[in-house]
Amino acid sequence: MQRKLTWRWALIAGVTVAAVFFMLPLDKRIHLGLDLKGGIHLVLQVNTGDAVRAEVDDAMERVRGDLTAKGFAPVALQRLPDGNGFLLKPAANTAAKELDKVIDDRLPEFKVNRGVEVTATLKPEVARNIRDMAVRQGLETIRNRIDQFGVSEPVIQRQGIEGNRIVVQLPGVDDPGRVKDLISSTAFLEIKPVVRVAPTEEALLATTNGKAPEDSEVLSGDIEDIEGRVSGKEYYLVKRASVISGRDLRNARRSQDSYGQPAVSFTLNLEGAKKFDAYTAAHIGDRMAIVLDNKVRSAPSIRGRISDSGIIEGNFTVQGAEDLSLVLRAGALPASITYLEERTVGPSLGRDSINRGLTAGIVGLVLVAVFMLVYYKGAGINANVALVLNAVLLLGAIGALGATLTLPGIAGVILTIGMAVDSNVLVFERIREELDLGKTVRNAISLGFSRAFGTIIDTHVTTIVSALFLFQFGTGPIKGFAVTLIVGLLISMFTSVFVSRTIFETELSRRAQAKTLSI
Amino acid sequence: MRFFHKTKIRFMEYRWHWIIASTVLNLAAIGLIFFGPGLKLGVDFAGGTQLTLKFKSEPDLGRVRKALEALGLGDVTIQRFDEASAHEILVHMQNPKGQEGDYTSRMIAALQKEFGGAQAIELNLEGSDALRDALAQADPDKVGGTVDERRAHYKPMSDAILGLRKQVGVVSGPEQLAGPTALSAATRAYLTQNAHFGDFAVLAADNVGPVVGKDLRQKAIYAVSFSLLGMLIYIWFRFKLQYGIGAIVANFHDTLITLGALVITQRPIDLPTIAALLTLVGYSTNDTVVIFDRIRERLKLERGKPLITVMDEAINATLSRTIITSGLTWAVVLALFIFGGDVINTFAFVLVIGIIVGTYSSIYIASPIALGMSNWIEKRKSARRRRR
Repeated sequence: MQRKLTWRWALIAGVTVAAVFFMLPLDKRIHLGLDLKGGIHLVLQVNTGDAVRAEVDDAMERVRGDLTAKGFAPVALQRLPDGNGFLLKPAANTAAKELDKVIDDRLPEFKVNRGVEVTATLKPEVARNIRDMAVRQGLETIRNRIDQFGVSEPVIQRQGIEGNRIVVQLPGVDDPGRVKDLISSTAFLEIKPVVRVAPTEEALLATTNGKAPEDSEVLSGDIEDIEGRVSGKEYYLVKRASVISGRDLRNARRSQDSYGQPAVSFTLNLEGAKKFDAYTAAHIGDRMAIVLDNKVRSAPSIRGRISDSGIIEGNFTVQGAEDLSLVLRAGALPASITYLEERTVGPSLGRDSINRGLTAGIVGLVLVAVFMLVYYKGAGINANVALVLNAVLLLGAIGALGATLTLPGIAGVILTIGMAVDSNVLVFERIREELDLGKTVRNAISLGFSRAFGTIIDTHVTTIVSALFLFQFGTGPIKGFAVTLIVGLLISMFTSVFVSRTIFETELSRRAQAKTLSI
Repeated sequence: MRFFHKTKIRFMEYRWHWIIASTVLNLAAIGLIFFGPGLKLGVDFAGGTQLTLKFKSEPDLGRVRKALEALGLGDVTIQRFDEASAHEILVHMQNPKGQEGDYTSRMIAALQKEFGGAQAIELNLEGSDALRDALAQADPDKVGGTVDERRAHYKPMSDAILGLRKQVGVVSGPEQLAGPTALSAATRAYLTQNAHFGDFAVLAADNVGPVVGKDLRQKAIYAVSFSLLGMLIYIWFRFKLQYGIGAIVANFHDTLITLGALVITQRPIDLPTIAALLTLVGYSTNDTVVIFDRIRERLKLERGKPLITVMDEAINATLSRTIITSGLTWAVVLALFIFGGDVINTFAFVLVIGIIVGTYSSIYIASPIALGMSNWIEKRKSARRRRR
């Protein structure tokens, strides 16, 4: 008997030490959710259609280029409304053999329907792959940007294995607007040859029947005065094909333009530098447009050969220049982004809710503890020890699992503590009943525990079963609730059955012939 | 000390009175939900954007409304939050129909315009980096040097101002700048002159687009349905089907009545509210299972006794435990309700109502249903036996 008790106490001590080890220091081990400590939670969607469309556009340009080179410029070439493919109306004189060759060479990833008109749609597995890559690249890019921005303990995850949503959690960020812009800016940089410039779109296209030639497009840009104030708009006709793009960048950083205003300077990688060098050498005196997200930032004239660096000017604040160089360094997003969900909790609200919640929780627990002492006397101490141990083990388990404590999680804790108290009450009431029936103290304790045991198991398992389903199907807060509940109930079974009983039996072993029990 | 010692209350004798009372209450709740004012869905399920704002003084709700309606987006609802002295309000705006996207910045900008100070350094809205850059630009301490040197100089000051904001919620005027010691005299003077002490600060912002809103609704429904089903199956397996059904009906009963109370008080239903309802379901089931357990035990000991008597005995035997546990848990959630602050107020409210209803339903809903079904099954069995 004595030896068995020693073992039991050793186990309890071991578990407690482990729990204390895992829960300390509290502020490092117990992660508080954003609802409690403040921060920003974002769910965003990568618009993967953009990436598919870009792929289709690329293929269209390749086909157009090949056919035009062979002298069969197509009559029409347009994207299908769903964006997954395109329709080609070949010129009447197109040689069938040449057309077949172009299709075989250029469209291996498309399912092609040949008739008078040619319909090409991306093969489903290819489209799926493009979408998946877009999300993965988006995730990588966003992670890069946030790493460079410097947030401690960010969470950046894809929601589900497939699917196009990304979850971003940033604790302690105090300027959510800026972070959101930083994440969602596509930062697609291109440098394009300028054909001509005009103050209005009509004037720009006056010589070409009001339509841009097929190889060109119209973009707009702001006109700024020396102090960087926007004073109007200007329109540019630029070539569609860019000289270099964001992919050719090696680095970007904040710098100053010749007026001392903030600007972004960049350097090119080897391949980009080669292209840029060749182009600028051949086009001295021409203008080139620096285009960011389809808006012309500036359009300087080429004064000499430039090989591997450049500068983007135009109406930046210091922070704006910094943010742009950050996103350029981190890479462009493969597709645009839409925010589906945003939750920002200011630190003052978070702190306030912790303080008040804690006060209330402590008041509640003290009430329970006092009642147990008054109502069950000696046995009440026993219950309170089990209760405190319950709280310690729960914190230890949360620390060990790396789980996050949120408001709904605290709800789970409350239910757990309620059930732990209930288990003690069940046992004590049962022992009292057995004592009323005239059983000896030892028998009453033994019977009380064994009879209440079934009930305790049933109540706990019922709740655990339903919590498992909540964990499986629930989202964020509901999941947090389920985790603390499951863990808490397992611990509650341990404390109220095992620990509580060990305390009783230790008491009994000291007074071998106990006639009375303080209960 | 002992309460409810050796009671002999004949609970089941009056079961019909209570069942009728419960039915009336449930019908009333259904009426309130479907034909009355209806459940007020919070931002999690209804979607839209919700801002929690703290004002310096009693806010003019009319102006808040006007500024937001001028955006011409969705419906605007404004609600007081917390004690009146805290000057906190909740502003909710629907997304324009079917539109995803982020409306938080636009709402804040509109309010900032209405309550002035869009041009100056806005001490109650700016992030610490923006504040630091604004100071580095103005350079009241005449540090000179490069941007980065000036930034380094003003960084501790902007952090101190953010710290002040965390402490007081909303910085109401220049006199509060005397607090943080990190501020240099020149900077303090500069801010007093040039900064705008906006009327409000944003404590929290939530934006839920239609896609996520639908998702959250669906997943909450799945989670709750499956967990109830799991409970039913476990009780069926451990006891009998009629007991499982009794427990589930009791759960619906508790949830409906609590939802009715939420309609009456017009509290919004959000994810934490669902967690609270689930807590209540867990609690109520716990209570029910304790009684069922005792019924099962008695049935084994005293074969031949009518079920109705056994049930009364079981409920009486566990009565002191029921009252003590419920009373203690109720005291805890009452403490949360009174002292817990606004964020968990609705949560605590659900449990304050739910624990009372849940305790009652274990005795007067779950048990009578198990009794009625058992009797009915018994009758059919004996009728079949007689026919043979």
